[in-house]
Amino acid sequence: MNGVAVEQEIEPQESLASFLRERLRLTGTKVSCDVQVCGACTVLVDGLPVSACTYLAYEARDRDVLTVEGLAPSDGELHPLQRAFLEDNAYQCGFCTSGMLLTAKSLLDTNPTATEEEIVEYMDGNLCRCTGYRPIVAAIKRVQGELA
Amino acid sequence: MPMFLPRFTIDQPSTLGEASRLLREYGEDGCVYAGGTELLLAMKKGGLRYGHLVDIKTVPGLDAVAQQDGAVRIGALATHMALERSSLVRSKLPIFAQVEARVANPRVRASGTLGGNLCFGEPHSDPATLLLCLEPTLRVTGADGSREVPLPVFMVGPYEVALEPGELLESVTVPLLGAHQRAAYRKFQLHEYPMLGLALVLDLDQRGAVTTSARVAIGSVSPTPRRSEAAEALLVGERGAVRGRLDEAANALADDADLLDDHEGSAEYKRHLIGVFLKQAFEEATADTSAASGGRGS
Amino acid sequence: MASNTRKSPSAANGAASQEAVPDELGFRVVHHSVPRKDGPQKVTGRATYTADVHIPRMTYAKVLRSELAHARIVSIDTSAALQRPGVVAVVTGQDLMSLNMRNYGHAVKDHPVLAYDKVRYIGEPVAAVVAEDETTAQEALADIVVEYEELSAVITVEEALAEGAPLVHEQGYDQGVSPGHVDVDTSNKRSNVCQENHVRWGDVDAAFARAARVIKGDYTYPMTFAYPMEPYVSIADYTEEGLTMYSAAQHLYMVRNDVAGVFGLPLNRVRMITPFIGGGYGAKSYTKIEPLTAVCSWKARRPVRLQLTVEESILTTRADDSKVHIETAVDENGKLLARRAMIYLNTGAFAENSPLVSSKTAIRIIGPYLYDAVDITSYAIYTNTCPASSYRGFGISQIGLPAEGQMNELAAMLGEDSLQFRLKNLADSGQRFFPKKRPLTADVKGDIIKATEALGWNDPLPPNRGRGLGVLVTDAGAVPVGRSEVRVYGDGSVTVFSGSTEMGQGSMTVLAQIAAEEFGTSMGNVRVMQSDTALVPFARSTGADRTTTLEGRTVLQACVEAKEQIRVMAADIWEAAPEDIVLEPTGVMSEGRRMGWGEVIGKYFDLSDMEVTGRAHIRQKDEFAELPPWWEPAIAAVEVEVNPDTGKVTVHKLVTVADIGLAINPATSEGQDLGSATMGIGVALGEELVYDGQQLSNGSILDYRIPRFSDVPANSHGILVENQDGIGPYGAKGIGDGPTSVICAAVANGIYQATGVWLHDAPFTPERVWRAIREQRAAQAQG
Ligand SMILES: Cc1cc2nc3c(=O)[nH]c(=O)nc-3n(C[C@H](O)[C@H](O)[C@H](O)COP(=O)(O)OP(=O)(O)OC[C@H]3O[C@@H](n4cnc5c(N)ncnc54)[C@H](O)[C@@H]3O)c2cc1C
Ligand code: FES
Ligand code: FES
Repeated sequence: MNGVAVEQEIEPQESLASFLRERLRLTGTKVSCDVQVCGACTVLVDGLPVSACTYLAYEARDRDVLTVEGLAPSDGELHPLQRAFLEDNAYQCGFCTSGMLLTAKSLLDTNPTATEEEIVEYMDGNLCRCTGYRPIVAAIKRVQGELA
Repeated sequence: MPMFLPRFTIDQPSTLGEASRLLREYGEDGCVYAGGTELLLAMKKGGLRYGHLVDIKTVPGLDAVAQQDGAVRIGALATHMALERSSLVRSKLPIFAQVEARVANPRVRASGTLGGNLCFGEPHSDPATLLLCLEPTLRVTGADGSREVPLPVFMVGPYEVALEPGELLESVTVPLLGAHQRAAYRKFQLHEYPMLGLALVLDLDQRGAVTTSARVAIGSVSPTPRRSEAAEALLVGERGAVRGRLDEAANALADDADLLDDHEGSAEYKRHLIGVFLKQAFEEATADTSAASGGRGS
Repeated sequence: MASNTRKSPSAANGAASQEAVPDELGFRVVHHSVPRKDGPQKVTGRATYTADVHIPRMTYAKVLRSELAHARIVSIDTSAALQRPGVVAVVTGQDLMSLNMRNYGHAVKDHPVLAYDKVRYIGEPVAAVVAEDETTAQEALADIVVEYEELSAVITVEEALAEGAPLVHEQGYDQGVSPGHVDVDTSNKRSNVCQENHVRWGDVDAAFARAARVIKGDYTYPMTFAYPMEPYVSIADYTEEGLTMYSAAQHLYMVRNDVAGVFGLPLNRVRMITPFIGGGYGAKSYTKIEPLTAVCSWKARRPVRLQLTVEESILTTRADDSKVHIETAVDENGKLLARRAMIYLNTGAFAENSPLVSSKTAIRIIGPYLYDAVDITSYAIYTNTCPASSYRGFGISQIGLPAEGQMNELAAMLGEDSLQFRLKNLADSGQRFFPKKRPLTADVKGDIIKATEALGWNDPLPPNRGRGLGVLVTDAGAVPVGRSEVRVYGDGSVTVFSGSTEMGQGSMTVLAQIAAEEFGTSMGNVRVMQSDTALVPFARSTGADRTTTLEGRTVLQACVEAKEQIRVMAADIWEAAPEDIVLEPTGVMSEGRRMGWGEVIGKYFDLSDMEVTGRAHIRQKDEFAELPPWWEPAIAAVEVEVNPDTGKVTVHKLVTVADIGLAINPATSEGQDLGSATMGIGVALGEELVYDGQQLSNGSILDYRIPRFSDVPANSHGILVENQDGIGPYGAKGIGDGPTSVICAAVANGIYQATGVWLHDAPFTPERVWRAIREQRAAQAQG
């Protein structure tokens, strides 16, 4: 869990989202649609994005799980994507934000030079009802610019 | 709309044989569990109910993707994302990699498997629609051994496939496209699943001007993805002549599809779209630039 | 989405310090895109929303919902559910009998906490199970047996208004607390009309009689769902001392009132706390699941959390769908003469906020135009469908397409450019276009010129493309009542206490900016406490874009009041006359001596951590007497492309204009406008809830498509118009309802330019557009 080993008994039907939220009280991961459509619950398992709402906690055994709480390299420091989201006002209510950040991270990890079209296509499975999306695209491009 | 996962147990077999035995033992109360993207969703919505899930991801090697004389053998547990990114698939079956890259969203692609997609019998399947034209063989394994099943036989009806109790899908072997074969895929989507998928594979003559044989399939608009012999016959011949018969071929495709009015659209509109996308796919497949390519409608 | 005059938030980073140089208008902190206060919490996952709150001994509730659209409840057997291990309580309509009130509703008290005599729509709560965990609660629902006697139901407005239609409500109800809804008919009614409104002036018949041209049309606005990403959730803890609740509620004081009414509790014994809200857009205004959660806790004697799914949220509140017949008349010079309209809203099973929504449709369908006469009637109609309530901009979305779509068609009919036609007919700023209401408080003519210029209105159009424009105004601000407090501490730090809620709109930041500006201090030195009825002053609501303008005004006034107290203290310390004390940006001065605000407080009380509290309120008096406090324009222009093969419409360019008076925080204002326009794109292109018989057929996000990344044009441009002409602080006026409502009309005009067909029924799905094009071709071929 975010780089720290966690040992917990779980029930087979427990979703990763409820494991994180209810057992570990890592409430940064949000649940909205609960049907793998909106991406609010996105976390990375071994670097790949999953919908924690419909993904069993059981699957996380012996694997690396990254949630929004583990994104920043250290206390008081922010991940470049978090900084960019602040700079570009890429959030309003913030409910989609954790999922957006982690999805964007998984995109940049595999395709750091993604074109605008590729960004839009990859991010298309994450919904936001507040921002109109363009600020999120801007934030991702800002990070690409910093990396370049 | 319950929207919660009922209680169940998970088994972790280490061989296919063990998985098969467990499934037989559980009967109606047991089910194969792969990526879970369809299964858990259906269970949450109350549509499916099982007391026991048999996790086949603990069986080693079921996600392998390998070349096998003139074909690519894809393990049932290969995920959409693995296939989209596989260098083997990208180089040998680019159309397949392209279609896989546009299934669902990255999260579903990262967990969802090709086997799960096919075994769920979802009529709105992109891979199944394309594969109908690529004519793969499916290897199905049960407690009493394995058998090979062609895809059209495997797809029985909506959410129904030809698996006997205790049987599992082990792998899908997809023949490679030859030098004179061209493929194209179009999809039109409004909601989470495609509203229409159309796959086309053409065998062209040496000069590329005559179709010597054609395979065309549509998905999402019929109880299972379907091919149409009548449409395929109309697609054989000299390019200009075929072009003139595309409307007729599209109508034949639509006739064979049992189109229905549903929340995605009316049968009439779907029939129209089949015409639009058949033309687009035909132009793309007969364009000389690339050997095999995919695309999506707009 | 930045207009060229904007400083980027980064450029303004840290600009909010004492040393900051004032900008061209003299502002140090306001009018700057300072970083949002809620940002760091939101990007690290630390921000607490209601579902993240955990209370010791908390239990979990799940709701059993009606499977029939209209039925009498004969009996409910809960015995098996109660036997299930882990079940703490089962609540049914029977439990309500011992309560002060079984119904609630801020407009009409027609909404049962749980269905008790009959059910009125599929999805209505019939019983709730409280258990130690959610799975048990959910499992126990299956143990409850309900016996119904089915009644015939009305699903559409036509059915509801038919002769002899079954009645959704057989009796009248008391009126709720909400002032302003004076039109509510609470008499014993014998029809399914929930509310009827009229707006009339001039002699409409005469105007139509002398008109040179008349245009008539019928329009549909679909049934929609606002889909805030955070589903409804609340937590209640009912004890001897009173009731404490956490809820994702925009109007916590209104909810307090409803909940207090149910139990007959005094106001001071109901404490409502609203953590961060995960979006609202109208869907979280007014009372939703709070009474039910509270009753669960009351019965279970334990804290209870009720968390709905998105599917259940849709069944809780949707937006009204509407059918509108509208006619507009012009004279021989193309000057508007008169407008007539009949508006029917399908309000669902309960009134919720639809009385207000329907009354607003009647006002807003007129637009900021000059008419000799209007005659508008609107109805809210009860049906056996899930209840409808506010949606971004109360009622303006429902009439955007008829109001402005018809304006576009009229211009086309007259052979005029729709921009020029509007410029000829729009009211000027300061002009009283609507009798007995405040004159127009915005330069809408200038605004649409800016919008069309930015769009490239007169550039040559590529094939299959078209452009369109829409402009409406909302009578914003609801009722101007509110209070704020500002506390200044001996160390110079400042806390603002406001009843508004932070739901993404940036209220926390904007209110802090005002206080930072007033005390010449940094953003970091100002804290904002919001959304706890036990601690913060009353706010009537957060909505109608009132926070910046009205709460902002009271915060500004409270700062001024606190400084006045400090002036008197400084006079005492320096033994000077108060009028000789000069208030400087960062403190007081007299005869060359200076003290900071905090220093004065410390010295005066001889206690360095003492404090001073400034208070201010507004009410509907003086400059706020005339309603609305301001008119908020909704302005957008778009360029669309229509795929002639599939009928699919793509928005390629989008320009919005926010006539904002003064942008306290330009970046958040622009963000609001793009978000609002995106909701409009959703309805224009695809959002629609569909009833298949008595059942909602697509009440899930799997089948209800909201806009995605790929639906919003990269070419989006937001313009802020800052004429400092608002009634809010520094001349600001609220935005945020934004351009949602006019997008459909603008897109419809674009489709017309691209294809030659006018569409009257939103959403403009590919199939609808394709059909319309085909029918038109067939008609052309025939004629
Ligand atoms: C939001 C969303 C969007 C989607 N969009 C698309 C889309 O655009 N196009 C498209 O084609 N598909 C789409 N899908 C379907 C997606 O491809 C499938 O969900 C996925 O491939 C299923 O794989 P899985 O491993 O998760 O299967 P599971 O959910 O684990 O299993 C599905 C079913 O297959 C059975 N099963 C699985 N593996 C085997 C096996 N090896 N042998 C026997 N039985 C087996 C299971 O018992 C179960 O009944 C979408 C799905 C979702 C949830
Ligand atoms: S909550 Fe998991 S995808 Fe929406
Ligand atoms: S910021 Fe509210 S949903 Fe994205």
